[in-house]
Amino acid sequence: MTRRHYNKMAAAIVLILAFGLPLVVRSATYLHILVLLYFYAYLTTSWNLVGGFAGVLPLGHAAFVGIGAYTSTILYLQYGISPWIGMLVGGVLASFVGVLIGLPTFKMRGAYFALATLAFAEGIRVMVENIDRLGPFVLNGPRGLQIPPLKLGLGNLVFASKEPYYYIILLMLLAVLALTWVIARSKLGYYLNAGGEEPDAAMALGVNVARSKLTAMAMSSFLTALAGAFYAQFTLYIHPKSVISLDLSFEIAFIALIGGRGSIAGPVLGALLLRPVSDFSRIYFGDTLPGLHLVIFGVVLILVMIFQPRGLQEPLTRAYNRLLDRLAPGQTKELGT
Amino acid sequence: MKARTRTNLWFQLALVLTLGTLMAWGPAVPVQAQDVVVKVGNIIPLSGPSASVGLQGKQAREMAVEEINAAGGIQSLGGAKLVMLYADSESKPEKGVAEAERLINTEKVHVLTGCWNSAVTYPVTAVAERYGIPFIVPVSVADKITEQGFKNVFRIAAKDSWWTRDQFAFLKDLQEEFGTKVSKLAFVYENGDWGKGFAEQWKKLAAEQGYEVVLDEPYPSTATDLSPVVQKIRRARPDVLMLVSNAADAILLTNTLAEYKVNLKAVITSGGGHADPSFLKAAGENARYLFDIVEWETDINKPGAQEANAKYKAKYGQNLTGEAVDAYLAMYVLADALERAGSLDPAKIREALAATNYRSGPGMIVGYDAVEFDETGQNEHASLVMVQINDLGQGLERITVWPKGARRAGYTPVFPMPAR
Repeated sequence: MTRRHYNKMAAAIVLILAFGLPLVVRSATYLHILVLLYFYAYLTTSWNLVGGFAGVLPLGHAAFVGIGAYTSTILYLQYGISPWIGMLVGGVLASFVGVLIGLPTFKMRGAYFALATLAFAEGIRVMVENIDRLGPFVLNGPRGLQIPPLKLGLGNLVFASKEPYYYIILLMLLAVLALTWVIARSKLGYYLNAGGEEPDAAMALGVNVARSKLTAMAMSSFLTALAGAFYAQFTLYIHPKSVISLDLSFEIAFIALIGGRGSIAGPVLGALLLRPVSDFSRIYFGDTLPGLHLVIFGVVLILVMIFQPRGLQEPLTRAYNRLLDRLAPGQTKELGT
Repeated sequence: MKARTRTNLWFQLALVLTLGTLMAWGPAVPVQAQDVVVKVGNIIPLSGPSASVGLQGKQAREMAVEEINAAGGIQSLGGAKLVMLYADSESKPEKGVAEAERLINTEKVHVLTGCWNSAVTYPVTAVAERYGIPFIVPVSVADKITEQGFKNVFRIAAKDSWWTRDQFAFLKDLQEEFGTKVSKLAFVYENGDWGKGFAEQWKKLAAEQGYEVVLDEPYPSTATDLSPVVQKIRRARPDVLMLVSNAADAILLTNTLAEYKVNLKAVITSGGGHADPSFLKAAGENARYLFDIVEWETDINKPGAQEANAKYKAKYGQNLTGEAVDAYLAMYVLADALERAGSLDPAKIREALAATNYRSGPGMIVGYDAVEFDETGQNEHASLVMVQINDLGQGLERITVWPKGARRAGYTPVFPMPAR
């Protein structure tokens, strides 16, 4: 068997496991945790288009989650429009906002860019918290919006059980991973990489760095907003502190940094590692030590940055390659990122 | 051949053992039935800003459940006991939702109750509805809680809009009882969400019932001088002044009204600042004869109320409150529904709750006379209580005057107010 075969087999095993898991995991609580795990893996993968490939550190992606969640929920509650359509509308709106933020901020470097996006997301949160009505749209300020689970079904994206949500977010995650894989091998991917590492050199070679970054930002915010709409339908209740919070923005960045930004597997690995830490620390220490998970994240982040600055995906990829070398020796083709 | 015989032998042995075990366990089945418990999940604020009311709700529930279990539990379920599971909402909506998910999915509760804070109760209604778990809401006043078309929410206490409704019902009854006509009303209220919400309802009710509104005056709660407002009240010459005030402004308004010797037939207030213990101390004699609306008062003239209050006070060191009484009643309403349902199936319990008609029993120590839910899940009979502040020789106190069935024995309200 060649390496290709082994790669295909590994992918097939992972897929079968992912799709078959709800047949084994019957507890709604664990399925809930898994849905959130995929949700964060999805968010981080979307974030990765900008934060990973374009080499900047956006800390305000919660704003796009919020735009997606609020848009689809308002359209559903006030106009009866299916959340699937609302999701896309939210996505378009978010990518528009994303480009608006990107235009001035992509000129900044390092911490300045991070701070600007962070301030922007916080600004949106404070605004939503203080606005009850925006023209004809009811935002309800800090009280948030509730989706009544009266009409169940795929069209309304409301289900009584967790399984449908599990499969929907799993498919969304696979789609966004495939998209990332394609982009990483496209011209855009190389432009982004070049612009992220050495912007001056890239520009000297004729790469339009600013434009490729803006394209990445538009895609990233569009995809992030889709997950926001999904989250609203999953929890049925959104308020500014749940969908536009700093915690959410930080958690995405944590997962990416620990998993390995700029790689395809990184966000998924990060979510696999950090989400259970977050959920179980909340279940067991939620009463006595609220916020413990963020402290643990911090410690893990420091350790990873010291010993594996490229994230956990690197040693794992290396181990996987070594395994393949054993199984199919003599073919030392590098496994893609 | 030999192998097959052996298999048969093993099979027969297993059969005998199984049957024997079954027979041995046969008579033990009723014992198992006694182990049936009703799991009640309670989401209340046990820490955070509303922790004190949350604790009252927990204590009242515990007292009721102890009584119910001591009296033999749920007879139709073989004497099943109620088991209480508490979850702390910290007054945070997302925590309440997470706890509701946990109680339903992990603890497998049969019924939910809670959550005091309307902001928490509201999202939890959607969780309960999604899983079809009946959700009893003792007190959470926001109207919208029962206005979502949900089948699994049941609210015992009155909702927001009923406070104003009852103030006007009281005003009408008062005029009939004393034969004194009231035609001109003045509305003075703090200019926040709460005051404006009340005033909106007042204006609607006044128009419907043919009162003339001579003054409609919002004011900032933080004002340090309210004499311009009081001057306006004096010039408008209303029969009845209706107020919504927070703590400091309630005191300031009451004292300024007395200072300017404004004569009114009655002052009707809306709880809040007027129900705060500091109000009576600071306003003193100036607060005399004022009517205030509350959920419950300790002197309420209902069978069992005094005893329940005495027992609660001995157990927990303080008087029952409106919140506690509704929580106490909620447990008896639940026990009543379980008795009729005769099943632990949440759908059956829901049906029984919907058919509730609870009129007498240990839980009925509230101001109203029955618990019966309309199709939205709101208790149709819930109402509030009006008290009058008066001095009967033991210092100023709050005396229940309305509804008439709950009025303190031997007390006649003072109306109209004597001239200052």
